[in-house]
Amino acid sequence: MAVDRRKIAVFGAAFVLRLLLTCLFPSLPDLLTGRVEVSTPVNSFKRLQEGLFLYTRNVSPYDGGVFHQAPLLLPLFALLPNAKSWPLPTAIFYFLVDLLNAYALLTISASGQSVKSRLHSAVRKHVRWDGVSVAAWFLFNPLTIATCLARSTSVFTTSGILFAVSNAVSGNTINAMLALGFASYLSLYPVLLFIPLVLLCYDRRSEGSSPPNVGSFIVQHAALLLASVAGLLGLSCLITGDFWEFISATYGFHLLVPDLTPNVGLWWYFFIEMFDSFREFFLGVFWLHLASYMGGLTARFRRQPLFVVTALLGVFAIFKPYPSISDASLFFALLPLYRHLFPLMRYTFFAGSAILYSSLLGPAFYHLWIYAGSGNANFFYAITLVWSLGLSILLADTVFAALRDEWEQECPGMVGAEVRQV
Amino acid sequence: MALKSAIRNLRNNPHFLFARLPNLLSFICVVVGVVWLLLLPLNEYSRQTYISENALLPGQVHAYFTGSEQNIFRGYKGELEGLLNDGQARGGQKDEAEVTAAVSDKLQSILQAAGLKIATQKYEYTSAGITHRGENTYAIIHAPRGDATEAIVLVAPWITADDKLNLNGVTLALTLARYFKRWSLWSKDIIFLITPDSKTGTQAWIDAYHDTHPASVQPLPLKSGALQGALVIEYPLDHRFQSLHIVYDGVNGQLPNLDLFNTAVAIAGGQMGIGADLQEMWGHDDSYEHRLQTMFRGMTKQGLGYATGAHSSFMPYHIDAITLQTKGEGWEDEMALGRTIESLCRSLNNLLEHLHQSFFFYLLMQSNRFVSIGTYLPSAMLIAGNFTIMAIALWMRTGYYPESKPSAKHKNEKASTEEKAKTNSIAERHLALPLSLVLGLHLLGLVPLWVFNNIFHQYFTITTYIFVVVDIILPLLLAAILSNGLGLSKPIIPQQYHLIKSFSLLLLGLSLSTLATLNFSLSFMIGLLCTPLSFVARLPGSAPFRLATSSLGLVLLKLVSPPTVLLGICWYMGISVEAVLTQAAFGWDVWGVWTQVVVWCVWWPAWLIGCVLLGSSMF
Repeated sequence: MAVDRRKIAVFGAAFVLRLLLTCLFPSLPDLLTGRVEVSTPVNSFKRLQEGLFLYTRNVSPYDGGVFHQAPLLLPLFALLPNAKSWPLPTAIFYFLVDLLNAYALLTISASGQSVKSRLHSAVRKHVRWDGVSVAAWFLFNPLTIATCLARSTSVFTTSGILFAVSNAVSGNTINAMLALGFASYLSLYPVLLFIPLVLLCYDRRSEGSSPPNVGSFIVQHAALLLASVAGLLGLSCLITGDFWEFISATYGFHLLVPDLTPNVGLWWYFFIEMFDSFREFFLGVFWLHLASYMGGLTARFRRQPLFVVTALLGVFAIFKPYPSISDASLFFALLPLYRHLFPLMRYTFFAGSAILYSSLLGPAFYHLWIYAGSGNANFFYAITLVWSLGLSILLADTVFAALRDEWEQECPGMVGAEVRQV
Repeated sequence: MALKSAIRNLRNNPHFLFARLPNLLSFICVVVGVVWLLLLPLNEYSRQTYISENALLPGQVHAYFTGSEQNIFRGYKGELEGLLNDGQARGGQKDEAEVTAAVSDKLQSILQAAGLKIATQKYEYTSAGITHRGENTYAIIHAPRGDATEAIVLVAPWITADDKLNLNGVTLALTLARYFKRWSLWSKDIIFLITPDSKTGTQAWIDAYHDTHPASVQPLPLKSGALQGALVIEYPLDHRFQSLHIVYDGVNGQLPNLDLFNTAVAIAGGQMGIGADLQEMWGHDDSYEHRLQTMFRGMTKQGLGYATGAHSSFMPYHIDAITLQTKGEGWEDEMALGRTIESLCRSLNNLLEHLHQSFFFYLLMQSNRFVSIGTYLPSAMLIAGNFTIMAIALWMRTGYYPESKPSAKHKNEKASTEEKAKTNSIAERHLALPLSLVLGLHLLGLVPLWVFNNIFHQYFTITTYIFVVVDIILPLLLAAILSNGLGLSKPIIPQQYHLIKSFSLLLLGLSLSTLATLNFSLSFMIGLLCTPLSFVARLPGSAPFRLATSSLGLVLLKLVSPPTVLLGICWYMGISVEAVLTQAAFGWDVWGVWTQVVVWCVWWPAWLIGCVLLGSSMF
């Protein structure tokens, strides 16, 4: 029961903290909603409000060219009272989604898949945090809190991904595919997680008595994913009417990146500077680059599919077309599952410092650029580069530590031996 | 060869690498940072000012404000003087509101007669238990050649920044309003703003102009386009003046575009033959000492971040503004000042776009010499960098260089590989306590921040003294709890002291380097005051020695604590603590000054942690 009490304390404290922040600083949510670091064109709550306004007046929500999110969010938010005059119900809804995400993390951690899977067993199994600590790490992460208070719709994608993983590690492969379908429907890129996730499901299934055939297993689950996405698309079609308009306003918007509002990612500046004739080519290259990690990481870390998911989420947080701090917070949420790798990591302090520096300097330089007028776009872009650098160092270090862990498992004699880069 | 082997020896000496070298590097950073700043006034490092925006064309037009306008000036002045004397005869200072009403009516009728659209705005601010209220009067000349999308502001406060009656300045503004109205060449609207004082009036007006005013401030009934520049006229003397004093510092250390300053200097000096001074440096002889003194005065104002005049309130809205003050006894009259302002307005009228963005960061050391950000920024960054270097070194030290094993010194070449592996592996760090302590103390800074901005002004002095006492007790209490546990927690291990210091210095370096881009001077000053924190730590040695040294250290550290520094400055300048803190609270409430946040949430927690570390050697 003691563990249960801790769980309740952490979840309760997280809820109360969010509630306090909303009630004590009533302007904070709106301030955060306007920040480019938190709200991108594809997850901004402001844009959702605009879409909602059009939707409740029976106009196509995509008419204004402002709203680019999935249409199924509209009836959901139409049920909630108006966020302008009654902000609390919407806020509490978001708090609850955050708690649900933490609950999913709890399940993932409890399964112990991060330290011991079918094909892999970490050397430092005993060095790990329990689920409540992992959930607390997620719930009290300032990035998560900022995302939650800003009511960014990324939290729904986050829950889709986390529930897909938590269902996969607990063996509910069908639910996992449905959740992944939901996440992909909302923001497209989670579909890249399909291969590692289906391998995770397969590994879990094979731990039982009779391992199923790999090929048919994958095909079945791919069909399931397609069916769930198709079902959601069908529902959306009922809501919006014009199928192609909605596809081009949402997925087209994700894929072709027409809105170059500054964000913490690497795309906007690059595509602003680009000559139009090269745009298509580099769009292809950038997307290919993003997608290519999936194959490489899956092949190399075949034995740890959950780690592939974690690493891919880190890659997405850096290389997505419209990243926000919510993507980084999702990556940070899964990192504590790999507590046993922390002793093997070498640059955590530098990565942490780079991330801290950029998260302070970013808003300062944005202020200089937009408000004070004494800086320019290069200031902010330089800081987004540092931010991405910090995340990349962290990601690369995690991958290094995972490789080292695999190597130590293969050669038990070399545990703790010094490596030198040649 | 010898050098090479010496370096190799040092590299293999972990004590040097982790304990000595960082101290050395940090110290070098601080010294270089300070020397860098001292070098800036030299000719090799500062530059001659120049006009970057060609459209300004300073002094290229003939100013026609002469002759008969002087009669108008005298007439207006006589009328206003009569009203002011009336009010004073009737009740002196007590009936100030009535005087303002009568005078305000007069102002309005004069401006209306000149053919301008007029409006008024009432406002009220309460800060530290003191209420400031007043009424702004303003009038707009609509540009005959413009489309009311851009405007220039001419401000004449009734009371100057030095608390003197600005009768000539207000009269001059009225005369100029009448005079400008007849010109057909304005392409920007011109707004004449008469405020009751230099502290609140412009702030209320500019906030309301951008619809960001608090409820106690009335909205503006009449508006124009985007404001391109603002000039404040201060002529509080009743005799002719000698030179113009140009005040340019804004709130929170923001500065107006250097081009505006340069234009003012070029017009005053080149066209009108009036000398221009800055930073109250009368008789600047362009020597190194005077340049340095000018720079330091500018840095002090920038660092403290308070409004230095009616123009300061414009800066947060990205509107370049300066105050022109008349100084000294000479032969220049109000007409010369009027012509200077006319010429400045003509220059601003020429502007086609915003002034260039690279000209907002500078340190001036003479009216025609400046240092640009690229040259001076490294000095504050080096000071901030010294903390980061120390933080990184301490982090590595906790991981790779175990304190308990002095074996590193007599490391044996024949040590077995296993032992070698052990020393190479990273020690586990216990992060929870250091992290929560550092974050908790930074959050604790919100308490003094709230207290010093919300209590009534008569309690400021006593609160400061209470706080001095708290600053003595709190570190010792925390140190005792940390070292002995006192039943509240487990006693702390040596590694955690290093981690506490590492995190604290990391945050300090982080905040200061961010701050250096926003307010260079504040970052530099706080960085310099915090320098000792890089070098204090829990002392080794026997108990009596530790007790003696750490007590001495604490007393010395106490000298650079926020409340002590405040008291010291107040004593040195001969001003009361209450006045300073009232002004600070006023700045926080009205101007939006955030120097206090830096003091209480960056400097004070870092200082506190330094004291805790030093104090822990007592127990």
